[in-house]
Amino acid sequence: MLQKNLLEVRDLRVYFYSDEKRELKAVDGVSFSVGKGETLALVGESGCGKSVTSMAILRLVDSKGKITGGEVIFDGQNLLLLPESRMREIRGKDIAMIFQEPASALNPVYTIGEQILEAIMLHQKLSPSRAKEVALEMLRLVGIPEPEKRLNEYPHELSGGMKQRAMIAMALSCRPQLLIADEPTTSLDVTIQAQILELIRELQKKLGMALILITHDLGIVADMAERVVVMYAGKVVEEGNRFEIFKNPFHPYTVGLLRSIPRLDVERKKLDTIPGVVPEPSSFPVGCRFRGRCNFETGECVQEPPRTSLSNTHAVYCHHWEKVRDSNAEVLKECRAQ
Amino acid sequence: MVFYILRRLLFLPLALFGVSLLVFTMIGFLSPYQRLATFINNPERLKGENVDKLISQYGLDDPIFIQYLRWLKNVFRGNLGWSYVGKGPVFEVILERFPYTLELTIFSVIPIIFLGISLGVISALHHNRVVDHALRIFAVVGWSFPDFVFGLMVLMVFYSALGWFPPGNLSIWAETVVKSPVFRHITGMLTFDALLNGRLDIFWDALRHLLGPIFTLTYVELAFILRITRSSMLEVLQRDYVRTARAKGLSEKVVINKHARRNALIPVATVSGQTVVGLLAGTVIVETIFNRTGLGSFMALAAQQLDYASIMGGTLFFGLILILGNLCVDVSYAFIDPRVRLE
Repeated sequence: MLQKNLLEVRDLRVYFYSDEKRELKAVDGVSFSVGKGETLALVGESGCGKSVTSMAILRLVDSKGKITGGEVIFDGQNLLLLPESRMREIRGKDIAMIFQEPASALNPVYTIGEQILEAIMLHQKLSPSRAKEVALEMLRLVGIPEPEKRLNEYPHELSGGMKQRAMIAMALSCRPQLLIADEPTTSLDVTIQAQILELIRELQKKLGMALILITHDLGIVADMAERVVVMYAGKVVEEGNRFEIFKNPFHPYTVGLLRSIPRLDVERKKLDTIPGVVPEPSSFPVGCRFRGRCNFETGECVQEPPRTSLSNTHAVYCHHWEKVRDSNAEVLKECRAQ
Repeated sequence: MVFYILRRLLFLPLALFGVSLLVFTMIGFLSPYQRLATFINNPERLKGENVDKLISQYGLDDPIFIQYLRWLKNVFRGNLGWSYVGKGPVFEVILERFPYTLELTIFSVIPIIFLGISLGVISALHHNRVVDHALRIFAVVGWSFPDFVFGLMVLMVFYSALGWFPPGNLSIWAETVVKSPVFRHITGMLTFDALLNGRLDIFWDALRHLLGPIFTLTYVELAFILRITRSSMLEVLQRDYVRTARAKGLSEKVVINKHARRNALIPVATVSGQTVVGLLAGTVIVETIFNRTGLGSFMALAAQQLDYASIMGGTLFFGLILILGNLCVDVSYAFIDPRVRLE
C-alpha cells in the first residue's frame, strides 16, 4: 500500500501568525495520498486551505505561515525534513505547479522562451541549443502554434489560453512525476477551459504523471478526478473515489456543495445554497468546523467529529453521517416520485 | 519608436515657446523704470529726463508683446542677449557654466541610484525587521531635510570642523594651472579635463571640492529612490510570478535578483530619470551654499540682479533639458518594460 503511493500527506498543519501573535489554523491535520499516475481533486470553497495545502507540499508557504506539523512523504522521503537545497531540486523537477492566473503567474519582463529555458537549464544538464529544442518540443506538445515565434514573445503578447498553455509547457518541461494544478482554468473562458483540461488530461496520460487538481468546480471534478478530497475550513471532511462522493456523499457539506450545482436532469425552482460563509480562520468553531452552517447540528458537534471509514476509499468526518445518508435517500425518493 | 521620438521633438519648440511666454509675462510685471535699472551700471545716469530717454531708447515702454517679439526675433538670430552677471553673451555663459553642473550631476547620480536601489532592496527583504526600520528612519530623515539645511551642516562638519571638503570648485593653486594656456579644456568638466590632461593632482583637488555637494545631494535624494525601490520591491515580492519562480526550484537569490528586482525597477527607472533631470536643473541651492560655479548658482545670481536676458536664456535652457530628459525617460521605458509600446 505504501509503495504504491507517490505522495502521502499525513496530518499536515499550516498555521499563520497574524500581527497580534494569534495562531490561525489554515490547514489543520490534513491527510491524503496520491498514487502514481492518479488524479486527485482537492475540493472546497475559497479559503478552505486547499491552496495553502498545495503550497505546503512544495514548502512554499509564505513567510507569515508556518508548517507546524505533519509529514509530506514523496517518493519515500519526507519533504518537510529535507534541506532547502534538496527541496529546490524537487521543485519544478519532480513536482511542478501551475496556477490560477496565467497572466500574473508568468513574469512580464521575460520572454516565454527565457522562462521555459530557465526551468530546463536548471534541472537538466543540457546545452543551450538542446534545451531550446526541448522548449520548442514542449510548446508543440501543449498545442501552441508557431512555437519558434512564441518563444521570443512576452507573456502579454499571448492570449489567456495560450499563456496557460505556455505555463503548462514550462511546468512539464522537466517531466515531473506530480503536477499540482491550482484552479488552472478558473480565469479562462469556458471553451478554453475545456481545451486546457483536455490538454492536461492528455499530457497526464502521455507522461504518466500524477495530478492534484485544486478546484471549487465540481463539474471539473466529475470530469477529471479519480479520487476526491473535500476540504472545509482547513480540514478534510470527506474523501472517496469519484462515484462515492457524487453518489453517496455523507458529509452535510459535500451534500450542500453538490446541491448547489445547476443540473439539467432534476427540476428545481431555485438552486440550493449553503447558508452563511466560511468562517475566518480566527473564528473557526471548536469541534466540527461546519457546525454553524449545518442543518444536522446537535450538541454533539462541539466534539471533534470522528473518522468513519465506509469503504477502502471512502471516509467521512461527521457525527451524523447516518442521518445525512437517510436524508439523501428521502430526497431521492421525492425526486423519483415527481 | 523613431516616429514617436520625432513627434515628441516636434512639440519641443512649442513647449519652449510656452515657457518663454510665461517667463516674459512675469518680467512684464516690473515697471519700465525697474527694468531700466538692470541696464545701467552707473547710477549717475538714472537722473532726470535721462531716464525717459533711456526707456524709449531701449523700447521698455512699448507694449509687452512688442518687446516679446523683439526678444524672440533676436533668439531666432541666435542672440539670447548680453548677460550682465556673467559678463558675456548669455549663450556662451550658459555653455561655459553648464559642464560644472553636469559634472556635479554625474557624480551625484551614481551613488544616489546605486545606493538607493541596493538599500531599497535590502530594506524590502528585511521587511518590518530592524534593518528595515533603521533604513526607513535614515531615509525619512534625509527626505525631510531641506538641502540648504543639510548642505550647511555638511559645510559645518566637513569643512569648518574637519577641513575635508572645501567649498568652491578648485583650490587657488589648481585654478591658476587650469586657467593657464597649457591646460586644455575639452569637456568643460574639471575632473574629466584634469584626467585628459594627465593631471591627477588637479583631478583629486576638483573631486575633493565636489565631495561636499555630492554628499549633500546623495543623502537628500537617495531617500526618494530608496523608498520607491522598497515599496515597489515589497509589492513585486507578493506577485504570482515570484511564486512561479520559486515553484520552478530557483534559488532565492535568483528569484530576487532576476525575477523580482527587474520588475521592481520599472517604477524606479522613472523616478531616477526625473532625479537626473531635476539635478541638472535644480542644483541652485547646493551650488550656492558650496560657492560653486555652475548653472544653478549663475541663475540664482541672475535672478537676484534682475538680469533678465540671463533669466530668459537660462529658463529656456532648463526647459530644453527638462523636455529632453523626460523624453529620454519615456523612451527608456520601452527598453525596460516590454509591455510598453511607444506609438
